[in-house]
Amino acid sequence: MSHETEKTEFADFFQKSWEPCLKAVVASTGSVELAEDQVAEAFTRAWLAWRKVRRHPAPRAWVVRTALNTGASWWRRRLRELPLAGHDTTATGGADDGLDAALLTALRHLPDRQREVIALRVFLDLDVDTIAVHLGIAPATVRVHLSRAITTLRHQLSPSQAMEVDR
Amino acid sequence: MNDNDELTERAVLSAVRDEISVLPLPAAPHLETITARARARRQRRVGGLSIAGAVACAALAVSLAGGSGGAAPAVQRDTAPPRHAAPVQLTAFSVVTGAGGSTTLTLYPGEVANPSAVHQALAEHGIPALVTAGRFCQNGTSPGWPGIDQVATFSATGLQHPANGQAGSRIVVIHGSAIPRGAKLSIGYRQDPQNREISFTLIQDGVPLTCTSLPDNGPHGNH
Repeated sequence: MSHETEKTEFADFFQKSWEPCLKAVVASTGSVELAEDQVAEAFTRAWLAWRKVRRHPAPRAWVVRTALNTGASWWRRRLRELPLAGHDTTATGGADDGLDAALLTALRHLPDRQREVIALRVFLDLDVDTIAVHLGIAPATVRVHLSRAITTLRHQLSPSQAMEVDR
Repeated sequence: MNDNDELTERAVLSAVRDEISVLPLPAAPHLETITARARARRQRRVGGLSIAGAVACAALAVSLAGGSGGAAPAVQRDTAPPRHAAPVQLTAFSVVTGAGGSTTLTLYPGEVANPSAVHQALAEHGIPALVTAGRFCQNGTSPGWPGIDQVATFSATGLQHPANGQAGSRIVVIHGSAIPRGAKLSIGYRQDPQNREISFTLIQDGVPLTCTSLPDNGPHGNH
């Protein structure tokens, strides 16, 4: 495959995948600004490794995973740089981004794996089996993560949303 | 999972989707922003493979299809090989532009570079050369030519092979501008990947060559 063909293919993937990947990472980090940087970085790495990524069973999931890992390493670096800051370094967001504060807080406080499963399920429309392959865990484990995350989130929904759930 | 559970799951997932979907999200950056960033990073990565002190203005990492036979095409490596994957192509040598207009040939350990590919890569850097593996060719230097040490210098380093991790690369820094008109640089090295002996000398273009399987101790670099 020529370089130009690869670039055309990547351009198509990039245009179609930017928004869903960004939403998935926003859901995980709680910050639009942070997610934008991380997703841009992930797409940069995707292009660098495009021959591998294009063969991935879920290339968008690869981007999301890379973005989240990038964020984790950024925060770890930040923690080393600011050892005396004493602040919770969880990504900020919430009201400033216009997100539902309660739901966002609940999302942010989910265990990493539960949050990632939710992001992949909701924004990339991946089924349980594909998520399982991507994360290298059993489908049953994915269902457990999904179920626990939903149970937690359900308690954070606004009254109107809760009513809809309970109907 | 019963019907109520499924309803709950759908509703919760839908709520999460809705919450994020109403956000004013930034548009995708221009594709060129992404590819330019990747390009800059790739150049830094390739530059990192060159020897210390060499200015990596242009780097050409040439891969050699396994074994010493066949004329493997010289290809520019554009991504680092995945760490976990068995490399399909192993880098046997690299040719980069170094400081002061010099050209640096690096022969990595553990592999035998394809002479044709080395020749082609050197030619692309303006170095006229005869490259041989398993034999060494010479035809006597011409009076008035510079000493070989003014044309090419050798160094053995602990530089590791970028793919197989073996240490012991052999580096020849070539000053192409010092090669006289009508001359070529003859470079010969062993075919045994564990024997990294390399010799080089100036030869006269168009004069019959004498090639031997082992380099002698003539007026050339023999390392």
